[in-house]
This record gives sequence, C-alpha cells and structure tokens, in this order.
Amino acid sequence: MNLLRIERYKLLPYRTVWIILAIYAGLLLLLLYAGSQITINGQTLEQELYQLPELWQRLTYLASFFNLLFGILIIVLVTDEYSFRTLRQQVIDGLSRAELVLAKFYVILGLAALGTLILLVVGLYFGLLHGKSHSASAIFGQIDALPYFFVQAAGYMTLAMLFAFLIKRSGLSIIAFIAYAKIVEPLLHFRLPDHMDQYMPMKVLGSLSPMPGQDLLDQLTTPTLQLSPQQAVLPAIGYIGVFCLLSYYTLKFKDL
Amino acid sequence: MLYLLRPHFSNLQILIRHVTTILDINKLSKKFGAIQAVDQLSLSVEQGSIYGILGPNGSGKTTTLGMVLDVIRPSSGSFKWFGQPISHQTKRRIGALLETPNFYPYLTGRKNLEIIAAIKGAAPSQINPVLDLVGLGQRQHTPFKGFSLGMKQRLALAATLLHDPEVLVFDEPTNGLDPEGIAEVRELIRRVAAGGKTILLASHLLDEVEKVCTHVAVLQQGQLRAQGRVDAILSAKDQIIISTQDMPRALAVLQQLPFVASFQPERDTIRLTLQEDYQSSDVNKAMFEAGIVLSQLVVRRKSLEAQFLEIIKAQS
Repeated sequence: MNLLRIERYKLLPYRTVWIILAIYAGLLLLLLYAGSQITINGQTLEQELYQLPELWQRLTYLASFFNLLFGILIIVLVTDEYSFRTLRQQVIDGLSRAELVLAKFYVILGLAALGTLILLVVGLYFGLLHGKSHSASAIFGQIDALPYFFVQAAGYMTLAMLFAFLIKRSGLSIIAFIAYAKIVEPLLHFRLPDHMDQYMPMKVLGSLSPMPGQDLLDQLTTPTLQLSPQQAVLPAIGYIGVFCLLSYYTLKFKDL
Repeated sequence: MLYLLRPHFSNLQILIRHVTTILDINKLSKKFGAIQAVDQLSLSVEQGSIYGILGPNGSGKTTTLGMVLDVIRPSSGSFKWFGQPISHQTKRRIGALLETPNFYPYLTGRKNLEIIAAIKGAAPSQINPVLDLVGLGQRQHTPFKGFSLGMKQRLALAATLLHDPEVLVFDEPTNGLDPEGIAEVRELIRRVAAGGKTILLASHLLDEVEKVCTHVAVLQQGQLRAQGRVDAILSAKDQIIISTQDMPRALAVLQQLPFVASFQPERDTIRLTLQEDYQSSDVNKAMFEAGIVLSQLVVRRKSLEAQFLEIIKAQS
C-alpha cells in the first residue's frame, strides 16, 4: 500500500493525468449525445439508446474505443520516469524492480476503476433520466458489462505499460502501441483462422465489450467466431499477468 | 583510521575491533558492448572513511557506483554492503546521488522529498531539518523545474540525508556548479562528514579529493591504478625552495648536510628534498649556523595532480 501512496503523490498534482481523464469523459459524453441525435426512419435514437439494461453494453462498447487514451496515459507515466531518471533514483533509494512494475500496475487498476466508475455514473444518469424503465432489474440486469470493461481497460493499459518499459521513449511507445492494437494484430486476424485468432490479446480484450446487436449481424452475414465476455475474462486476466511479467523481465535485464 | 577522525579515542586496540567494512567490491566488471567500462575492480571501504574514487572522465567511476547502487547490472564480480547482498534493508542505510539530481519537475522540492521519504520509510518530520540544512527551507514550495542548478544539487543532497543514512555516495557532487555553488556543496559534505558518516565520493577533481578524502582509489580506463590513504598515496616528498645572496656557499653547505636527499640549483633558487622526518626548519637552522641568511624559504607540496599523472604513467 506504500507503493500506492507513492504513486498517488506523483499523480494527483500532475496536470497531464487530469487532462487525459477530462478528454476521456468529454469524448464519451459527446459520443452519447451525438448518438442520440441520429434519426432512423424519422425517429431519433434517443429513446432506444438510453434504455436500461441494454445501455450498459452500449456504453462499454463505446468506451472501449477510448481505452487507447488510458493506454497513452500509462505510456506517458512510465516513460516520464525514464526521462526524469526517477526510475533509477527510486531503485537507488530502495525499491526493487518488481516493485516498480507493481506500483505502475496499481496505477493501472486505479485508472481502470476510475474509468468504470465514470461509466457507472454516466450510465445511471442517462438511463434514469432518459430511459423508460427504472426497476432494479433494469438497472442491474446487465451491469456485469462494467466489470468486463474494468478487465478490458486494465488489459489495454498493461500492454501499454509493457511497450513503455520496453521502448522507454513516449512517442515511439505510443506509435508502437497503437500500431500493434489497431494495425498489426487486426492484420494477423485476417491471416489466421477464427478459431485461433479469437485467443489473441486484442481480440480477447475486444470480446469483453461485444458490439451491441452483433448477434443480429451474425444472422445476416457469416458469423465471426468470437469469445463471449464470460469466456474472455480468464484469458484476458492471463494476458494481464503475462504483460506484467514481461515488464518485470524487461527491467530485470536492463541497466536503468 | 577511526582514531584520526575521533582523536579523543586513544585505545587503538579497541577501535580496530570496531572497524567494519561498509562496502566490499570483489572483481567487479562491466562491459558495454565492446567497451570494458570497469575491469576486475576490487576495493573495500571501511567505516568512517571518506573514500574518494578519482579518475578522468570515462574512467568507470559512475559505472562502478551504478553497479553497487543496483541500477547497472555487473557483467561479472560481486559486491556487498555491510557484509550483505544489496536489498531494501541495505539501501535504506545508504544515501546516494548518482550523476544528476533526479526529481519530478512538476512537483515542488518538498513534494519530491515526500516521495523519497515514503520509499525510505523516513518520517515526514525529517523533511524540514534536511531542507534547512541545505538552505532550501524558504524555497521548498517552488516546483523543481524552477530551481537553479545549485538548488537542484542541494535538493539532491537533502534527499540523500533523509532517513539519516550511515553511508553517503556522491558522484561528481560539484559538477556544473559555479564557484559559489561548489563551495556550498563542499562545505555541506564536510559538515556531514564531521558527523562521522562514511562517505564514498567519485570525482575527477584532484583537489576535491585531496581536500575532502581520507582514502583514495585511482581509476583509469576501468582499472584500479592505486588505492590507499590519501597521505600514503601522496607520499612524494615535499619540495623546498630556498634562495640566498651567497649561492656557491649555500650549495657547499647543502652537500655537507646528511638530511638533504637531493638538491638542484636553478637560476637564483635551489630546489631540494629532505629525508624522512626532517622539516624546512632544519634547513633554515643549518644555514643560519653556517652563517648564511636565506632570503626565501618555501615549502611546496607535491600536488596530487603531479602524483596522479605519475601513477597513471607508471602503470600504463
């Protein structure tokens, strides 16, 4: 818990953290608002979009696009420690390399919790204000989408942390992270058969917040094979563990 | 050697039993690619000493300190602090400043120290005294990025003093400072050393080591060239320069004096060195007895610089 306290000292006064969090919340609200303005067959989507309990799934699906932002934030925080040379100073002052990784993992858990909390507040606000049903079963019926989102956010950020520890420089790390998440792995998905690529990290993490209406789409086209959120949780946690371990080994065999 | 630092202890016998090895380095080596930065370095630092690691830039001083401080992985060899491998427990007994002051630029001086206090397990109440000691009490709420180089260095010194460590490690502590800053930092180190702490100091500045240290290891190209007490390494005999109106008679007298090791006449002065245990006053006395009045008598200590160059030349 001392590690968490140390990280808190660093984060709270850091403006970059607050700016990225504000961008995250702002973009989410903007997207929700813009979505409600779409008209289909002369009817605005507003009524349909904000209905609980389906809102939770829509919300986490939308928010999953912004996990890149959290990843970038983690990359900034880790590469800062390299450029300020504070990583080195903290090892001199008493932390082990494992504790360096653990401290950043705590930050990841904290940010994932914060992101999930923002979704909870936004969901309750729009769902209760604009939705029709306010019963407990409507509110909590599909709220399990939120814990899945938590794991997903933590997964993206742990991968970002690994890139940052490996590459050390913020610009290059951000490019590598986005290139892997959005270009390299999707390209591999094309090449590989579905029963294999469904276990690849980005696909597993993506499966945690499936696209609303995916089942409908599958009926029209050939269904893509994808894990359900329930099935994806364990592999996702496994990847988180692997990324943390790889981060640790990166530090262990490097001069700081 | 403790008895030198603490003259009120007279019983050497007891003290020798108390002298413990703080840092023991055993055949430590580091290769960066093809470059052998540190080569089979062995040395030991004893409690209470102020140990200087002296060498030109690129001689492996920082690499050596980086290895014993756990941030650079040795290629081979080993080291022990307080007889144990390095751990969180041993690190808490060491305060170290390696190369540059490393802090979060957006945090104030005080907040930066709070982070280090949390890592070392030092009470927050220790922060004010160390800030006052380095003269930053008034500026503690200024962000680190607004500090001058001298202030940054002093904040780094304050950070090393948190948790009252037994050992302090300083790497080029006066590098890049203006003369006033250099004086301030040296004064600080002297004040800390007076408290009886063991200090390990890397420097390329000869007079810094000569002025501050009790022991010295001379490094060149990663290899140990000489190691020992500063006064032993500096065993070169002092030179005495005399001049008089009557040079021929003075030279004749010098030839007779048994304690004169050598002498060399120059244009209007004579340079001479003496045997062990003789001082310039002996020369003056002998000359006066021979009826020669000296118009000049100067003792010139052989500089560490000259000594250093000799050591390096002799070995390579």
